Amino acid sequence: MSLRLKLLLLGLLTLLLPWGGCRYARQMEDALREGERNSLQAVAQTIASSLQGRTDLLYREGKEHAPPPPDTQDNTDDHPAPAEAAPSPYDLQPIRLGAPPFLDGYSDEWPRTPGTWRYFTRDKHRFGILAGVYERMLYVLLDVEDDHWVFDAPGANPLDASTTGDRVWVGILDPTGAERQYFLSAPGPGTVTARRIEQGEYGQPLVVDEPRMVGAWQPIPKGYQLEFQVPLSMIGRRFGVLIDDRDQRGATAVSYGTLYSDDLHTVGRLIVSAPELTGYLAQFMQPGLRLAVTTSSGRLLAQVDALAQVAVQGPQRGILASFYRRFVDRPGDRKQIVSDAPIYDRDHHNVIGNLTATETADRWSRLRDRALTQMLNFTLITSALAFIAMFAFSAWLALRLSRLRRASESALTREGLITTFPETHSPDELGDVARGFSTLLGRLNEYTGYLRTLAGKLAHEIRTPLTIVRSSLENLESEKGVPSGARVYLERARQGSERLNAILIAMGAATRVEEAISNAERSRFDLVPLLASAADAYRIAFAERRFATELPQETVMIDGAPDLIMQMLDKLIDNAVDFSPSGATITLRLTLDPAVAVLEVDNPGPPIAPEAQGRLFESLWQSRREGGGENDNRPHFGLGLYIVRLIAEFHGGTAAAESLPGNSGARFTVRLVRQ
Amino acid sequence: MKRNVAIVEDEPAIRDNYAAAFTREGYQVRAYANRKQAMAAFATRLPDLAVIDISLEDEPEGGFELCRQLRALSAELPIIFLTARDSELDAVSGLRLGADDFLTKDLSLAHLIARVNALFRRVDALRKPLEASQVVRRGPLMLDGERMQVEWEGQVVLLSLTEFWIVHALARNPGHVKNRQQLMDAANVVLDDNTITSHVKRIRRKFQSIDPTFDAVQTVYGMGYRWVE
Repeated sequence: MSLRLKLLLLGLLTLLLPWGGCRYARQMEDALREGERNSLQAVAQTIASSLQGRTDLLYREGKEHAPPPPDTQDNTDDHPAPAEAAPSPYDLQPIRLGAPPFLDGYSDEWPRTPGTWRYFTRDKHRFGILAGVYERMLYVLLDVEDDHWVFDAPGANPLDASTTGDRVWVGILDPTGAERQYFLSAPGPGTVTARRIEQGEYGQPLVVDEPRMVGAWQPIPKGYQLEFQVPLSMIGRRFGVLIDDRDQRGATAVSYGTLYSDDLHTVGRLIVSAPELTGYLAQFMQPGLRLAVTTSSGRLLAQVDALAQVAVQGPQRGILASFYRRFVDRPGDRKQIVSDAPIYDRDHHNVIGNLTATETADRWSRLRDRALTQMLNFTLITSALAFIAMFAFSAWLALRLSRLRRASESALTREGLITTFPETHSPDELGDVARGFSTLLGRLNEYTGYLRTLAGKLAHEIRTPLTIVRSSLENLESEKGVPSGARVYLERARQGSERLNAILIAMGAATRVEEAISNAERSRFDLVPLLASAADAYRIAFAERRFATELPQETVMIDGAPDLIMQMLDKLIDNAVDFSPSGATITLRLTLDPAVAVLEVDNPGPPIAPEAQGRLFESLWQSRREGGGENDNRPHFGLGLYIVRLIAEFHGGTAAAESLPGNSGARFTVRLVRQ
Repeated sequence: MKRNVAIVEDEPAIRDNYAAAFTREGYQVRAYANRKQAMAAFATRLPDLAVIDISLEDEPEGGFELCRQLRALSAELPIIFLTARDSELDAVSGLRLGADDFLTKDLSLAHLIARVNALFRRVDALRKPLEASQVVRRGPLMLDGERMQVEWEGQVVLLSLTEFWIVHALARNPGHVKNRQQLMDAANVVLDDNTITSHVKRIRRKFQSIDPTFDAVQTVYGMGYRWVE
C-alpha cells in the first residue's frame, strides 16, 4: 500500500464531519420535533380546556336548551352522565358529508365507506341506516329489507289504520327536551314529506305536515330505500327511527328500530356536534394545523383543516436539500405530528371528547432543511478541501520521496558518487533524512575516493623506503669483501625488492591510466586492423592459448586513442588468459550495431559469479581466487577491469561481463561508439 | 680531474646511498638536502651534473624551482630529475624546464650511473669535432651516437637522454619491431607501458614540430614500435 493511498484513506476520515453533521441534524430535528410536539400539546390542551364542559358545542346539549324534563325517566342522561358516558347500540353517529345528497331515494351520492351503515334486525327483518351531516342538515338513508313492501292506499287518511302500508317513524328529542314523533309513508315511489300526529283543538288527532323534514321513497329489489333530511336545529340529543313493516295494508305491523315500539320514545342519541363547534375551532386555526374534535370513542365530531396550507411561503426546497434529506431522514419519520388532549366535563370527572391537533412537519422541516443544507454544504466543502489538500500533500510527499529514492539509488552508480542530494534544504523530517543521506554519501564518497587513491598513494609512499632498500642493496653488491655466502641472501633480497617494485607499478596503474586518459589525444582510426594485429601479438605472447578472431570485413571507425584501446585489450586478454586453462581458445569478436561496435572477449574459464556481476568493473574489486592463475606471480589489485571500464567510458562506451550459455565460460563485452 | 656531481635529495638514506654509488664510480659528490643549501653552494661553484629530487623537504615542487634557477646559471649543465613520483605531468614539466632526463627512483643505481656517464659522454662529445663513425643516417635523420644528438632535415631535435636512446634503438634497425621491453632496455630504464607510450608520443611531437608530416615512428599494435623510412 503506497503512502499516497494511505494518506487518501486517512483523508476519507474527514467524511466523518458530514456524517457527524447528519447525526447532529437528526438530533436537532428530534429536539425540534419534541419542542413542536410540546407546543402543539399545549395548544391542544388549551383548546381542550376551553371546551371543557361545552357539551352544547360538542353534542349540542346545553343547560339553556335542555332542561331535564321532570317527567322523563331518562333525566339521568343529561346530568350528571354526559352523552358519551354510556354508549348505547342505538346511538347514531352521522358521518360528515362532503356535499348534500340529492334526495331521490337512491344511495348513489352517499359515500360507500364500509362500516358506516348501522343495521337493526328483528327476527328476519332487517334495515340499515346511514346518517350524514352536511352543514346544518342531517341526512338519513334507510335501506329496508322487505319482501312484501306496501304503500299507503292512495289518498288514504293516515289515521285510518286499514289503509296504511309500510311506515317509518322518526323520533326526536327536540332541543327543548320534548319528545316528537314524525312518520314517513308514501302512496307510491317519490317524494315524501314527514307528518306528525297532533292533538287537535278538541283532542282529536290531526295529521300535520312537517315541511322541514322531506325525503324520497324508492322501492328496490330487496325492499325499499328512504332518503330524507332533517334540519339539525329540530333535533335535540336523541334521534331514532322505527320501521313499521306490514305485509299488507292494515295488517299488524312488525315494528323495530331505535324507538320504543310502544310509546315511540327515542332510545338512541344522535351524536353530532353543534355547527358552532367548527366556527369555534376555526378561531384557533393556523396554516399547517388541523384541529379535530372526536367523541371519546373516536368518532369525529368536528374538524377544521388547514394542513394543506403551507405555513411559511419560503423558497422551494432545493435540489441539494432534497438530496441531503435522503441521508438524514429515517424511514419511520412522519410528516405530521399529532397531539391529543381529552375534553372533560364541567366537573372534570369524565371525558366527553377528544381534541386532536395535527400539524404538518413542513413548518419546522423548512427551518431544519435550511440549517441542514448549510451545515452539510459547509462540512462537505471542508471535507473536500481537506481531501484535496491531503491528496496534494501526499502527491507532493510521494514526489519528494521518489526523488529521494531515485537519488539514493543513483548515488552509488559506477560513475561514482554524486554529492548533490535533493531535498537537503527542506526544513522538515524528509530534509533531515536527505541531509542524513547526503552526509552518509559524502562520507562514502570520501571513503571511496580515499580507496581509489589509496593504491597510488601507497605506491608513492612505499617507493621512497623501497628506493632506500634497493639502493642500499646495490651499494652492498658493489661493496668489495662481501662474503660469497652472503651474496645468496643479497640476491634474494634484491629479488624481493624487485617484486615489491612490480607491485608498486601495478598499484599505480589505474592512476596512470586515469592520467593517460586525461591527456589522451583523440584520432579517428579503424578498429579492425588494430584488433587483427593485436591478436597476432597475443598469439606470440601467449603461446599456450589459442586465439580465434571474428572480425567484420568492413572498416570500423572509432574516434579515440588507439593506445588506450590497446591497453584495454591487453587487460581483457590478460584477464581471459588468467581465467582460462592452458590450451583454451580465447575468442576475440567484433560485431556491429548501427551506432555501436561491440567488442567481445570470450574465455572458457569459470562463469561470472552472480555477486560479481555488477562489481567486476569497480576499482579495487576482484573475484580472483588465491592462486587462481597458473604460474601467476604478478600482483593483482582488481584494477585491470576498472581500467577497461575507464577506457570504454572514455570512448563513450560501456563495459559488461556475463556468463556464457551453460556456464561454459565468461564473456566480456565492451561497446564503443562508432563514428 | 674528478667530475663533480651534485645530489639534491631530502631523504638522507637515499642521498647517502646515491652519494656512495657515485663516489664508487669515481665521481666527486656533493649532496644537499634542500634547495637553499644547494643554491648557496651552486652560487659559488657549479657542479658538472645535477641529480635533483622534485619534492624537497617542505617544498613539494622545490626541484622544479631549483632546475629553473640552475638552468639560468648554466644552459649546458646536464640535469637529471629523480623522483618518487611517476606522474606524466611531472615528467612533462620537468623536461620543459630543460632537464636532460626524468627518472623515477625505481631505477637501479647501475642504470642511474649509466645515464650519468652517458650524459657526461654527450657533454664531452659536444666539445669534440664530429666523428663520422658514430653517426647513423637514415634519410633526413642524422643520429650522432657520440654526442647523443639527433638532427632531422638538418635541424637539431632536442631529445632527452631516454628519448634519444629510444630513437636510437628504433632507427638503427629500420623496419624491425622493437617491443616495449627492448626499448626500455635500450633506454636503461624500467618503465611501464604507459611511460614508453608517452615517451614515443613526445618523440613524435618533437619531430613533428620540425616536420609536421613526420611519421617515421610507427606503432605496431600489440607488439611495439618500428622505424619506417
